[in-house]
Amino acid sequence: MPQNADHVLDHFDLFRQPEYREMLANKKKNFENPVAEAELQRVVEWTKTPEYREKNFAREALTVNPAKACQPLGAVFAAVGFEGTVPFVHGSQGCVAYYRSHFSRHFKEPSSCVSSSMTEDAAVFGGLNNMVDGLANTYNLYKPKMISVSTTCMAEVIGDDLNAFIKTAKSKGSVPEAYDVPFAHTPAFVGSHITGYDNVLKGVFEHFWGGKAGTVEKLQRVPNETINFIGGFDPYTVGNLREIKRIFDLMGVEYTMIADNSDVWDTPTDGTFRMFDGGTTIDEMNAAVHAKATISMQEYCTEKTLNYIKSEWDQETVSFNHPISVQATDKFLMEISRITGKPVPDQLKLERGRLVDALADSSAHIHGKKFAIYGDPDLCIGLAEFLMECGGEPTHILATNGGKAWEAKVQAMLDANQFGANCHVYPLRDLWHMRSLLFTEPVDFLIGNTYGKYLERDTGTPLIRIGFPIFDRHHHHRYPVWGYQGGLNVLVWILDRIFEEIDRNTIVPAHSDFSYDIIR
Amino acid sequence: MSLSAPETIEEIKQRNKELIAEVLEAYPEKSKKNRAKHLNQFNEGKTDCSVKSNIKSVPGVMTIRGCAYAGSKGVVWGPIKDMIHISHGPVGCGQYSWASRRNYYIGTTGVDTFVTMQFTSDFQEKDIVFGGDKKLAKIMDEIMELFPLNHGVTVQSECPIGLIGDDIEAVSKQKSREYGGKTIVPVRCEGFRGVSQSLGHHIANDSIRDWVFDKMEGKPATFEQTPYDVAIIGDYNIGGDAWSSRILLEEMGLRVIAQWSGDGSIAELEATPKAKLNVLHCYRSMNYISRHMEEKFGVPWVEYNFFGPSKIAESLRTIASHFDDKIKEGAERVIAKYAALSDAVIEKYRPRLHGRKVMLFVGGLRPRHVIGAYEDLGMEVVGTGYEFGHNDDYQRTTHYVKDGTLIYDDVTGFEFEKFVEKIQPDLVGSGIKEKYVFQKMGVPFRQMHSWDYSGPYHGYDGFAIFARDMDMAINSPIWGLTKAPF
Amino acid sequence: MRQIAFYGKGGIGKSTTSQNTLACLAEQGHKILIVGCDPKADSTRLILHSKAQDTILSLAAAAGSVEDLEIEDVMKVGYLDIKCVESGGPEPGVGCAGRGVITSINFLEENGAYEDTDYVSYDVLGDVVCGGFAMPIRENKAQEIYIVMSGEMMAMYAANNISKGILKYANSGGVRLGALICNERQTDKELELAEELAKKLGTFLIKFVPRDNIVQHAELRRMTVVEYAPDSKQAGEYRDLATKIHANKGNGIIPTPITMDELEDMLMAHGIMKQVDESQVGLTAAEVAVA
Repeated sequence: MPQNADHVLDHFDLFRQPEYREMLANKKKNFENPVAEAELQRVVEWTKTPEYREKNFAREALTVNPAKACQPLGAVFAAVGFEGTVPFVHGSQGCVAYYRSHFSRHFKEPSSCVSSSMTEDAAVFGGLNNMVDGLANTYNLYKPKMISVSTTCMAEVIGDDLNAFIKTAKSKGSVPEAYDVPFAHTPAFVGSHITGYDNVLKGVFEHFWGGKAGTVEKLQRVPNETINFIGGFDPYTVGNLREIKRIFDLMGVEYTMIADNSDVWDTPTDGTFRMFDGGTTIDEMNAAVHAKATISMQEYCTEKTLNYIKSEWDQETVSFNHPISVQATDKFLMEISRITGKPVPDQLKLERGRLVDALADSSAHIHGKKFAIYGDPDLCIGLAEFLMECGGEPTHILATNGGKAWEAKVQAMLDANQFGANCHVYPLRDLWHMRSLLFTEPVDFLIGNTYGKYLERDTGTPLIRIGFPIFDRHHHHRYPVWGYQGGLNVLVWILDRIFEEIDRNTIVPAHSDFSYDIIR
Repeated sequence: MSLSAPETIEEIKQRNKELIAEVLEAYPEKSKKNRAKHLNQFNEGKTDCSVKSNIKSVPGVMTIRGCAYAGSKGVVWGPIKDMIHISHGPVGCGQYSWASRRNYYIGTTGVDTFVTMQFTSDFQEKDIVFGGDKKLAKIMDEIMELFPLNHGVTVQSECPIGLIGDDIEAVSKQKSREYGGKTIVPVRCEGFRGVSQSLGHHIANDSIRDWVFDKMEGKPATFEQTPYDVAIIGDYNIGGDAWSSRILLEEMGLRVIAQWSGDGSIAELEATPKAKLNVLHCYRSMNYISRHMEEKFGVPWVEYNFFGPSKIAESLRTIASHFDDKIKEGAERVIAKYAALSDAVIEKYRPRLHGRKVMLFVGGLRPRHVIGAYEDLGMEVVGTGYEFGHNDDYQRTTHYVKDGTLIYDDVTGFEFEKFVEKIQPDLVGSGIKEKYVFQKMGVPFRQMHSWDYSGPYHGYDGFAIFARDMDMAINSPIWGLTKAPF
Repeated sequence: MRQIAFYGKGGIGKSTTSQNTLACLAEQGHKILIVGCDPKADSTRLILHSKAQDTILSLAAAAGSVEDLEIEDVMKVGYLDIKCVESGGPEPGVGCAGRGVITSINFLEENGAYEDTDYVSYDVLGDVVCGGFAMPIRENKAQEIYIVMSGEMMAMYAANNISKGILKYANSGGVRLGALICNERQTDKELELAEELAKKLGTFLIKFVPRDNIVQHAELRRMTVVEYAPDSKQAGEYRDLATKIHANKGNGIIPTPITMDELEDMLMAHGIMKQVDESQVGLTAAEVAVA
């Protein structure tokens, strides 16, 4: 009997004990109709070949292990960034259970969101009653300041009209007539989670600036000196937004953080559950129309939103691609400085110098190393720029939700940099494609989300966890990856993995441990 | 309401009544009336818990429930390891349920085993408008080419499939013919069907009946049969639960010919109608197929409970009662063998946990099944409820709960929070969506779906981990830190 | 810019009526965009002289997704510079044509198809069978709906049903019922019935389009009558309809659809439907003979 009250064995030890191994071997042999070992090994090896890669890349219909989620997830991410706001997802209820779980697993935080719980009858008759009852319940139970409505694919296929439904619900008294219920159609079968983020954000802007669905006058823009800042769908939103606020405060910039979910996803354990915390206020949203410019840290998360702000309101818009590197951060700060007229203060110059100092100390360990990167389109760009700045060589850059325009942009970036010479860009591909790439064109390290661990297991490529979601490492989202401080964090994460890898490869006594160095 | 903690059973019942009334006050009239039917307390002597169940959730209240797809793909079919399960529709459903349920298995993932992979048809707008059948057919071809060692395919329908009227049955039949009779199972588990995961379990059970059993009909067993063949039904091997259960059954002399569905394979599903007895753990999700096998193949079934030594011993004896003396002796031998371990675990943890109060809200069987394990440790369950239970679950619950236990069916986020706030239990056991809410409130918490990434909790080996985990949660020093000293 | 929509039961002559009317509006100097919202994609053939236009959805399916399309790919220009797009959709019996309508209209709006246009006209299949086919009557889409009908019973049923669909959206949005257009089928008391139905729905009959074989002659050549025989009497009828629709701007109403019983009563009152003898309901022919 392996188990022991004094020293309780966990699953990872328990099932490796001989009793269990024997039991499981017998199960396989007698009942599972297993594939013959030789055949299994033949196929294992075959999946590593260029021939397999060719077949794999010829896939037209099947997606395996994609690195993207659906629009409604991004919708919820954006909605919780507004003060006292409940995201209300119109459609099937199971979806909402999924979004909430997904975010809670990444942020290790509660994730509040409601569903209109449409079922078979609503599929036939439309979900109006669900909207009417649902808004009334959410409003009465949770007393939110605002309810942000988005949709699941079910409501989109049957063609429910949010604008009409919300107006009807108001006329039936579900919520007061003047109560803010911005909305966005977010079909899961178009784009990805970053599209949903964009749609909801645009919906909120249209609501507050554009006359609340025709119920009040549009706002009149009187430009002032503030700037609006949008982070985009960002796994590091907690650390990043706080870092950006620190930087703006240092610069003396007047700013409005749009969809600021940095507090709601980092609430304290002090005896009180805060369903809401922080977030952009309604007053701030109204005032944001007067801003001099709107800055987006992630171009591909905010395409429609920025277009609306620029074309309808003649506000300047500037977008970046998840800046991490020194140069990308330089560019970001200089743009802020140009727009606001505020110089970059010495403190930031000092921080810049410290990051460059850290790079100088350590970049030798990154220089010449090959990296595969996958993730959201903007993050891929930010990471590649950073690696190339350290002399690293991106080799495969893959985004399941990256399109043709993204591909062209990444290619141009690579073409302009000697360290990008041997890199290929893969839009609309998944992690099963990446598996073939890692077997046929191996790299030294892989950067991606938690699911990258399966690639690490199969191909032996060490994984550096940067992206979304990260389920199996804790609290990284509390650290920034933006600003020079953020660059430092990314540098340390990469270096830690590189050093661990060197140690792991040199740990065998009397075989490799001559290189098991105490100083690196 | 009295401020002092209630002590007598009358005081507890009075408090519960007031608490339910207070919580209901927050709802608009229509929803208040609806929710009132789902909240109650157990009264000694009743044959059920006096709550309505398996009814549509109220919109806009933050139900904890999922959908039929989650019940089929996430629970019943997903763990069958040598088949490829296509999440058919948009990318999200498969993405959010990708490898998150900890159904442990042994196999070479991506080659002969596929549980922790996400196969999706990633529907685009054009697939909705023009229909997805051609794409599905092509997906099957690509699967056969790239994953040649698969032992079958299931099609797990997401919402749009039923709405646009795709004929996944026709595609499945045609492709099965094309690939030499390979098992290809279309499952109509669109998320809008039914009111929770529950209908998904039922639909998945029925699809095994119609698309797996029916084609096996009249074929001889592919394994050597013995009088002691049993199948474990309704154990999803979360953190290895089915393994720490299987070992006990085998030690008592039985032969486990199949696991449904944790670490299961299609061959095991096909073998099950030849079992002498089906032993059923999660009644809710697999009673349907158990009843079918009884009616059609004459395989009797028996429910059991492998949480905590009291219920394990009781269950081993019940299972043994279906067999001869050799097995009955085997059961006694197993109980005796593990007594020392259980005693040591109880001796170590009971003093640390005695008298502690627990509130539960979980899925299929756990709102009742785990109560015995808590009681073995001297703990008391003061409130429980089912995410997607039916009335037969609440009937079965009466055998576990005490007079005055608060019962909440399909509890809403709002209600659960208020209940815990007022009752102040020492531990809440529920899911990931609830975990951090209660921890923020300073209430110790364990996830009772995923075992909080621990487990197994089944069997004697699992009980030791269970006891250790509950102690770790309740007696963690961090709960003394939640209030700043200044 | 004015947005209107033509709805009506399939086969009623909806596309013929709309294309002839729009051709007349073009004659009067208006810039027209036709958005066909029928999976059959036959809303623009008389303007383009073509059998069928490449549709937004078929092109999007070929290109990968609708985001890969440019507006030039889907928009054709026909008679009198009328701009034409067809939403298109799946073969009968598969997929979701309603969703296709939503996709197409979103695409057109996002890509500026409505710029430099006086009239956008949606030509919508049969009935408002699902949310997707109601897309053109959502807020900020069509302001007035013209229902093409005739004196046939099913056409009137459909007109009433479409009114129900409009009513649903009229309270929250701005959509209104413009008027009924009767496309003559030469049934008994057709004009009278059409006017009566219009009255019951709270609207009026804007035009009774008489039947004339010249319409069929023009259609065989894939032309509108207005182009084929501009001086014909029938061309004049369509010009009259176009003028009236143009003058009807802002006069739409919220319809008052009637119950099935009321509709049947109306038909009976005009002798179109016979009074039902309740004692005979459910009896077979043989039983009736015995009785």
